[in-house]
Amino acid sequence: MKNLHLYNIPIAYMLLYIVAILASGVWLFLLSQGLASADILQTFTHIVTTPEPKSLHQFIEVATPHMFAMGTLIFVVAHFMLFSTKVSKKLSLIVSLVLFIVALFNISAYLFISFGLVVSGWIKLLSMTLFVLIFLGMLGLVAFSL
Amino acid sequence: MKFLVTKDLEYSTLIKNLMAGVVFALFFFFLLDVVLHSYVLGLDVSTLSTTLFGNPDEFIEPILLDTLLLQVHIDLFMALFSIMIVASIYIRLHSKKVMTKWLVHALFILGLFTPILLLVAYFTNVWFVTIWLVTFICGHLLAMWMSLLSLKKLLSK
Repeated sequence: MKNLHLYNIPIAYMLLYIVAILASGVWLFLLSQGLASADILQTFTHIVTTPEPKSLHQFIEVATPHMFAMGTLIFVVAHFMLFSTKVSKKLSLIVSLVLFIVALFNISAYLFISFGLVVSGWIKLLSMTLFVLIFLGMLGLVAFSL
Repeated sequence: MKFLVTKDLEYSTLIKNLMAGVVFALFFFFLLDVVLHSYVLGLDVSTLSTTLFGNPDEFIEPILLDTLLLQVHIDLFMALFSIMIVASIYIRLHSKKVMTKWLVHALFILGLFTPILLLVAYFTNVWFVTIWLVTFICGHLLAMWMSLLSLKKLLSK
């Protein structure tokens, strides 16, 4: 295959796009929890103590596109690890599967709050932080493989 | 993208036709995306300014930050996938051309900065609205042009 190195360009830009998507997603979530009228620490405290109530309709409205988008995005990023000669296939497999599980946990976390199974919003904060950190880790692995 | 790299077009009619199909669809996606943004945000400086900053004389409220941010979030996602596909196919078909590298760079940079500039415009002033408009139109025209070049090459083989 000639000029295979040219494919590094779309992959490198993809990493930047995903960082921007993650950042805008976290910002959107914090806005929905009152970031516009309070500082970031107050917003975190608010999420932990009294997360904004969400109906099942609102939950489904957010969860449906994210199930598709997150699943596709993880698949696309993870499949680039097939090209990697620097990262082992076993590590790629573990990181990808953990990321899929954490993504599912992150999407469904608000369901536990909506149904009153968890009173505090720490579960959403924890799942979102885990998801973002592991995703950034996977992006780092792809960047390292370029 | 792996599938685009591993198969040789000379020996696979199926992948050639599949690529032609997706490029054809993406050409219309980019075209309709311009129309959609003209309905949602406006496609001239005056309408865009009214959407972003409101108009007190006509009692028009500015767009809510979360509505704009949601649009940016979706635009980034859609841009990533559409540009990735167009760029990958373009590289596959035009890898020998010197310009290919720069066109792909330009397409990705325009696609990334267009949504970000919209947010910058919201927080700053009308100058960035003009810059957003130029990058948005240029990005979409470039993507459509690259799609057409790919389609031409695929159909001529």
